[in-house]
Amino acid sequence: MCEHAQNIYELRPVTITRTLPQIADHRLFQLKLDGGCTWEEFGHQPGQFIEVSVFGKGEAPISISSPPTRCDSLEICVRRAGKLTNALFEMGKGSRLHIRGPYGRGFPVDRLKGHKLLLVAGGLGLAPLRSLLLYVLDRRKDFDDLILMYGTNNPDNVLFKYELLSFFDRDDIKYLYSVDRDDDGIWKQYVGVVTGLFDRTTLSPSDTYAVLCGPPVMYRFVVERLLKLGFAKDHIYMSLERMMKCGVGKCGHCAIGNKYCCTDGPVFSLDEIEHIKEAI
Amino acid sequence: MKLIAKKDVPAVVDQWSKTYAVLAPSLQRNGECIFDTFDRATFTLEYRKPSMPPKSTYLPQSEAIFQVKDGGFIHSARHEKTMLFGIRACDHTGIRQARSFYSRDMDDVYHRCHAEDTLIVVHACSWPQNETCFCTTVHSGPYAKEGFDIQLFDMGTDFLVEAGSDTGRELIADAPFRAFDVDDASERLNRVKHMALNSIPIVSEVTDAMEILRAGGANETVWEHLGRKCITCGGCVYVCPTCTCFTVYDRVTSEGNGERVRAWDTCLYAGFTREASGHNPRASQALRLKRRHEHKLLYYNETDNQDALCGCVGCGRCSDYCPVHIGTIEVVKAIADHIY
Repeated sequence: MCEHAQNIYELRPVTITRTLPQIADHRLFQLKLDGGCTWEEFGHQPGQFIEVSVFGKGEAPISISSPPTRCDSLEICVRRAGKLTNALFEMGKGSRLHIRGPYGRGFPVDRLKGHKLLLVAGGLGLAPLRSLLLYVLDRRKDFDDLILMYGTNNPDNVLFKYELLSFFDRDDIKYLYSVDRDDDGIWKQYVGVVTGLFDRTTLSPSDTYAVLCGPPVMYRFVVERLLKLGFAKDHIYMSLERMMKCGVGKCGHCAIGNKYCCTDGPVFSLDEIEHIKEAI
Repeated sequence: MKLIAKKDVPAVVDQWSKTYAVLAPSLQRNGECIFDTFDRATFTLEYRKPSMPPKSTYLPQSEAIFQVKDGGFIHSARHEKTMLFGIRACDHTGIRQARSFYSRDMDDVYHRCHAEDTLIVVHACSWPQNETCFCTTVHSGPYAKEGFDIQLFDMGTDFLVEAGSDTGRELIADAPFRAFDVDDASERLNRVKHMALNSIPIVSEVTDAMEILRAGGANETVWEHLGRKCITCGGCVYVCPTCTCFTVYDRVTSEGNGERVRAWDTCLYAGFTREASGHNPRASQALRLKRRHEHKLLYYNETDNQDALCGCVGCGRCSDYCPVHIGTIEVVKAIADHIY
């Protein structure tokens, strides 16, 4: 046994307290730390992730969907995609799994304070962005105007639907939703790609921070649009996704140029990564 | 500084092997030399660059991160007092670079345990080991500057012995090590160093290629051409002293029992960056090869490279063993000379 107490690969046991189905193959898990530890002590920030472990099925990085302002449970929104996530979907309330973390550099909350915010999410990108969204809503006075743009491919794939619908009742957040396709004609909001939402609101680029989270193709178009509107490159933040293994900057899988997505990111500003060709 | 007669070395290493698990040059029946557990019968001081660098002492090809017994986790790191006897300066630099990378921000406890357990005896080179050596170009050799415990310089029938640590000093304190207290001791050592430095050719294309990469990158057709040649065997990575990427997997022996293992992996494999969604940000072999070489020649320079020029230590093994001739030497020449 090695004497060094600090082992970055050490796992912590957690218990699933609740599972909430979202859309097909997406589920929200609420977790409790075992051994009497609290999530306050865990000390996560919006935009960070944890490594989730089920022995025999492996380990996977999963972003934290809940903000540090709501520490009664930690929430992760999981898409069933691989070995580990399939195993998670077999688990229910009371099941035990293991985690490491919190890892990564999250959203620059302190920098965003006092400014207008434009949050742009695409698909499952809402899962990490929700940690920031709820943080801002819980500390609403610390921030200026808040706009949320959320695009999915069709009306059946809207995550956190009831939570998002409740925003219609609030006047301290402007919400704009889009779907790429609406074959059944049930969508009352905008139909088209998420960049189309930019025509439906006015922004003040000089004092607004844009925070994006979505699939790679979304970044390309949204960033182009933001730059055209006059957003400064250090006012555009995005959470990048890469295949991560260790979560602590050693295994090399998530390297993006001279950066490691797991430790330098996953949140980067545009001016940090624009010179790296493979970044977005 | 001390001296030791070469003929006395086997007995000394034999003695050390009672305290340390000594990995030393061992002559195989096929004439090749590998680093293996010390055995006086096969031990040799006449050896060329072994095919494998000593990185597996620090990062074993596969290693348990933790054991699982009846559903419970047991974190452990293997402890064994080890001595690397006779490694070359390029490989020593590789070890130091890897150690620095593995300890930055958050220390990797397994790598650290191996490092703390390992004593290093460097055998400085007097001449190139073969035609692919270019340590003088990247400042990783032919002799070690720091971080070693003992360093040997070839002086004909004797080795000149330099201690680099307190443990090293203790190990060479007594006979058969003898004092080297002539007036011009350091001058003589410098002469040996200069002769070695001048005997190893400079590959100017390395610095040229680095400059091109810094200035915006190589012509994409270079990578496309090399990507078409690469057969994705990963051999260059496994023989590289500074390639330290790993994958993690679970080895289950029975329900609730087994171990989580990390094992060597490489950015040259398509699955290395493929995400669960199926999306792969490095979708072609050209991009993967570009990544590997840009990491060595461009990105690594911004991190701690232990006074070497870049993340390549110039051992030349990738050029020795690549079946389709796209080792670092061939790659930097393709970049610098605008071939393809």
